[in-house]
Amino acid sequence: MTQESRVRDFVTAFEGLRAEVEKVIVGHRDIINHVLIGMFAGGHVLLEGVPGLGKTLLIKTLAEGLELSFSRIQFTPDLMPADIIGTNIIVEDPDGRKHFQFQPGPVFGHILLADEINRATPKTQSALLEGMQEAAITVGGISRPLPAPFFVLATQNPIEMEGTYPLPEAQLDRFLFKLRVRYPAIEELNTIIDRTTQARTVNVDRVMTGANVLGFRELIREVPIASHVRDLASTIIMATHPAWQHAPEAARRFVRYGASPRGAQALVLGAKVRALAEGRFNVSVEDLRALAAPALRHRVILNFEGEAEGIDIDTLVGQIVQSAEGVAVQGKEAFLR
Amino acid sequence: MSTPSLDALIARVAGQVRRRRAEHYALRGAFWSSIAAVVALLFKTPLGGWALPLAIGLFVAGTLGGLLWGILKRTPSPDAARLADRAWGLEDRVATAIEWADRPDRTPLVEALVNDVISRIDKLEPRVAARRVIPRDGRLLPIPLALAVVLALAPPVPLPSGRLPNFSSDSEEAAAEPRADSSMMEDRKTPQAKDRLKPPSFEERDFASKMGGTGAAMSGDLSAIFKDTALSSQRPDFQSFLKKGDERLKLLEQADRLPDLQSDFTTSQYKMMFRKSKALSGGLKPDQISPQKLRELLEEMERLGRKGGGNWTGDAAEGMEAMEGGQPDRAMEAMQRALEKMRAQDEAGRSGKGLKGGRESSRSGNNRDRRGGEGGGPEDQDFGEGEGLLPGKGRSGSPKGEATQRLRSTPYDVGVEGESRRGRKDGFDTNLTGRGGAAASRLQYLGVIGQYRKMMEDAITRESVPRDFNSQIKDYFQALDER
Repeated sequence: MTQESRVRDFVTAFEGLRAEVEKVIVGHRDIINHVLIGMFAGGHVLLEGVPGLGKTLLIKTLAEGLELSFSRIQFTPDLMPADIIGTNIIVEDPDGRKHFQFQPGPVFGHILLADEINRATPKTQSALLEGMQEAAITVGGISRPLPAPFFVLATQNPIEMEGTYPLPEAQLDRFLFKLRVRYPAIEELNTIIDRTTQARTVNVDRVMTGANVLGFRELIREVPIASHVRDLASTIIMATHPAWQHAPEAARRFVRYGASPRGAQALVLGAKVRALAEGRFNVSVEDLRALAAPALRHRVILNFEGEAEGIDIDTLVGQIVQSAEGVAVQGKEAFLR
Repeated sequence: MSTPSLDALIARVAGQVRRRRAEHYALRGAFWSSIAAVVALLFKTPLGGWALPLAIGLFVAGTLGGLLWGILKRTPSPDAARLADRAWGLEDRVATAIEWADRPDRTPLVEALVNDVISRIDKLEPRVAARRVIPRDGRLLPIPLALAVVLALAPPVPLPSGRLPNFSSDSEEAAAEPRADSSMMEDRKTPQAKDRLKPPSFEERDFASKMGGTGAAMSGDLSAIFKDTALSSQRPDFQSFLKKGDERLKLLEQADRLPDLQSDFTTSQYKMMFRKSKALSGGLKPDQISPQKLRELLEEMERLGRKGGGNWTGDAAEGMEAMEGGQPDRAMEAMQRALEKMRAQDEAGRSGKGLKGGRESSRSGNNRDRRGGEGGGPEDQDFGEGEGLLPGKGRSGSPKGEATQRLRSTPYDVGVEGESRRGRKDGFDTNLTGRGGAAASRLQYLGVIGQYRKMMEDAITRESVPRDFNSQIKDYFQALDER
């Protein structure tokens, strides 16, 4: 199989899966694309939006389009870590001897929907930390690997602050992307009404297996990236730090903590998937621009002034990217002078 | 990996870049060389017929130099590749392919990428990859060029000689004809040399230096030199000053003979004697005046008269004789006559060579004439009461007048100044300015901050404050504590 055909297969699979999801989900093309990019990049995605926008439905539909196991956890304040990762229970064998046996929790699945993740206590939220980073869970001193591919899709509601526990920075950093699900346009709303209020059943076909996903993940890592594009990714990450010498004024003024190296990894990996999904064999600057906001909006922590002034994090990231492009090309484009 | 079409594309873009660079640097070279040509044309007088060829040569050399510099400058392949990507919208394909084609760690996808790029290159339309960049110097080029053309066509510009202007009227004349007052300088030299080590006495400076009428200075009197204004009417002769040195500067080196500048040398002999006579009489009748002091005063007047050639010597001698004869009334009258003559001589001396201006001297002279008989002191005669240096009509001691009552009339005239606090904690340090700044605060913040802090901690524990705001609230109270 040639490289071109591998890439063509990926493009076909990507578009096929997107088409299956779009059978159910109306609009939100970017959200669907970014969820798929996150999945193929091997990361986890946090979806934020007010209730009723179809976040959970999107994830359920995605799981239906994949031949993968799917678990859903509804996070509540009384949810315990053991409810997620599982626990050792006493069982009796046919000989009448009792012993501990590990009963795996819902985390042991390919696709995990952590619905309303910010309703659980930080203790329970952190039960996912190890699984998201190491793809393994340690219970009773025994580390148990999670099935591959393992993909966490979490949702949270940004407007209900009462009784919620905002995700700590360490937990947020584990998510490759944070996506904001916005209200649909009026045409999309009309379509939603038509689709959901009529007697019509939509069947989502399974178009991809776990092995396909893992194979594509390997292909994605082969996508070359030019040094100037990589430099721009690094510069974007550095420009989110207010203490950096070339940081833009907006970052200096409104940012408390900038993005971690994990942010750079997310940016470049996501850019590679995006490039391949467009049938391109290389990462371009445009890929970085398109994925900067999903990859950085949860990694750039605003300071008090930024929160008080209601700074829109997406606008801020846009300014940071613009500034970083100016810094990155400085001295390289001046050869004409 | 051999990529001839890719290399050809890079070479094509690099050629465009070279051309643009050649234009760019040629314009810059032309600008600066045209300025050099203008300078050469400014020196048309000393350069003669060479000015124009030199200017043209400079211009051509500068332009060609810039052109060559632009052509010979190397264009890195990655830069050319990025330009190509941008020009044809290739989304960094060319730059990535150029960079990865020869890397040992290239992935299988690189080959696909190169093939993709080559297939796209074949379909590219000719396009300008490197845009023309006109430097600022190039936009200003017409100015020096126009100036150079004007200078080339115009007659030579007269240039300054490069020497200092000759301020002297005629140095040879000055050497041949001694200055009008040079005799005074010469006269002064001899006695100074004679009395070199003799410190001048106070009396000599006080009384003998005021011989304005004769213009002759007494031995050892240096103050007369500084009061000499006879030179002011002459044109300055810097040449002779530089050659010979100023007599005054030489005299300044004799620090022990410098005049006592703390004393009032502007006071005339007449004023001194008048003051002494007033102090002597002090409103007393002639028979109540101390004969001894009256005799001393008359002797001093006579000595001054003899020394300075005053015409009051006779009167002073007559007064002394009257004292010998026991007639203090006559002695006082003689002293008054002597004083009148001294004043007349003083007036004559001031009118010619006084330091004051004509109007001032005439005014003070008039005042003196008008008030002389009224018994007022000399100081009183200079300025009238309530007039003089102080502005305005009143007698206020302050030249600026009374202070305004603005601040008193607006008790709320206060302000707040502040500056951004540096460091991690964002905030402002503010200070109250104006009258309110000094007022004590009604609330003792430091006394209650602990109480409020405890309330804050209780509230954070009790209420469900979002985690992200906990640290900010604590930082705020921490910042208050630090203040």
